[in-house]
Amino acid sequence: MAQARSLTQNPPQSASAARSDSWGTRIKTSILGYGLILPSLLVFLTFFYGPAIFLAYIAFFHWNIFSANSTFVGLGNFLKLFHQPVFWQSLLNTAYYVVVLVPVTALLALALALLLREGLSRRGGGISRAFIFLPHVTPVVATSIIWVWIFNPQFGLANTVLHFLHLPALNWLESVHWALPSVMVYTLWHSVGLYTVLFLAGLASIPRSVIEAATTDGAHGWRMFKRVFWPMLGPITFFVVVLASINTMQTFSQIYTLTGGPHGGAGGPAFSTTTDSLLIYQTAFLYLHFSLASAMSIILFILIMTLTLIQKWVADRFVFYR
Amino acid sequence: MRNAFRLRTLLLIVLPVLFFIPIYWTFVIAVGYHGAAYHLPPVWTPLFHWGPIIYVLTHTHWPRYVFNTVGITAATIVLVLFTSALAGYALAEIPFKGHSLYFLLVIGVMMLPQQALLVPQYVVLFHLHMLNTYAAMVIPFAANSSSIFLFRQFFKKIPVSFHEIARIEGVSTLRYIFRVAMPLAKPAVATSVLLTFIAAWNQFQWPLIMTNSPQIQPIELALSHYMQTYEANWRELASAALIALSPILIVFAFTQKHIVQAVAGGDLNAKD
Repeated sequence: MAQARSLTQNPPQSASAARSDSWGTRIKTSILGYGLILPSLLVFLTFFYGPAIFLAYIAFFHWNIFSANSTFVGLGNFLKLFHQPVFWQSLLNTAYYVVVLVPVTALLALALALLLREGLSRRGGGISRAFIFLPHVTPVVATSIIWVWIFNPQFGLANTVLHFLHLPALNWLESVHWALPSVMVYTLWHSVGLYTVLFLAGLASIPRSVIEAATTDGAHGWRMFKRVFWPMLGPITFFVVVLASINTMQTFSQIYTLTGGPHGGAGGPAFSTTTDSLLIYQTAFLYLHFSLASAMSIILFILIMTLTLIQKWVADRFVFYR
Repeated sequence: MRNAFRLRTLLLIVLPVLFFIPIYWTFVIAVGYHGAAYHLPPVWTPLFHWGPIIYVLTHTHWPRYVFNTVGITAATIVLVLFTSALAGYALAEIPFKGHSLYFLLVIGVMMLPQQALLVPQYVVLFHLHMLNTYAAMVIPFAANSSSIFLFRQFFKKIPVSFHEIARIEGVSTLRYIFRVAMPLAKPAVATSVLLTFIAAWNQFQWPLIMTNSPQIQPIELALSHYMQTYEANWRELASAALIALSPILIVFAFTQKHIVQAVAGGDLNAKD
């Protein structure tokens, strides 16, 4: 099979195209190609690239979805945004959320991956891995419901555990100081399995000969980690950190669900869990300030695109170098 | 040495259990007795009172929400397979003009930050008169970059002779893709189906923004509304959550190895 394929390397050329290279056939091939990519291309252009370009337009206009006329205001929307304290609060909250959650997630995922790596060779190791990964595929609202109960100050499991450890009880989601950390706990539970699995793939890509050589030389435990795993995992660690940053910067569903009880809108108490994506949602779809929300979206867009490009660059060069 | 080994074995058992507790707890509360959620110390064993679940399924609009989610998920899966097989085949086999530009467009979609696009996406759907329709829930997700790449990768492995024979026999390209190439790319089909199933079933923010009628709402959105109205009804709430969770749990139980490897992008067991 490999030999057959070697005849048709990049750029793809089917045997028929290679043989009869006439102008007519080439046109026919192109038309066939366009026909085949048309459905997906239409979806991508209409619902992704179109909106991405449109975003720049709305952000620089004073604009309303219900009226046809719009006036160019240049950076006016951004200036207005910068005068809103809640915007700065949301940036601060997002920064706090990302800066605390990403390192914790990455370290825990690395530790879990190292633990599971040894476990996988034993019986039931795959099951351990499955249980740690499972939360990542569960629907966010359905699992947030039980976490609201876990964080309940009176009856919740979280305070029961704190009580058991002789620590003072917390108000969790109802406290200005602990609401965002509570969301972090949920997100950690929900997503650490994903990064664990990525680290496992990184560990699996380390050649066995390297590990065997190190073992023969007497490397074990901490020394093994410091001298072999850590340097070999460098690129994937960086990849995980950037990917986790991109994902945590866009956290929405759990904040909306965990903090949006019947007593008030999401983002509370006192805006302590209002992150950038929540504020974009509220500004656009609750208060219908589409232009302001677009200006915020542009800022988020630039931040995340920068991170994404770094991640892509790292992934292409260093990760999964097998 | 020996103690370290024991500690690791212990952690390998305890940690997965800790991760599973919230899901187990949903079950315990849903089938427990009335007020079990407020019991101290917590009750750990399920009592198998199926009343609340049956109540939710028969006395609320829940069957409608389940129907919506199932329909949206199924339609998305079918369309994703269709568009990805076509596009994957084009990328793998057909040297059309603009081939590399299309390739870049497919990669680019993966890199667009979803949260930043919601406002203009809403406006586009508004102008297409798609707000509050099933189409709004399905069509934007009917094409998927990773599935396209997956199919491209698998189609590239099929020997050229297969296609040659089909061409000589007069088999059309579409027939070839769906009758010959797709059955040969079963792992790509399975991975696309599983990942699309999980993504479509768990949709929340998109329907929250793009719909407002309960008639077409999926489970996750209905749960969120339900939660804001009946926060004190823990048993009903947990039952509803369990209904939303079970299909994912059942599918995961049977395909976890495949899902984990699909997400990790490769084999997880060390090779020589």
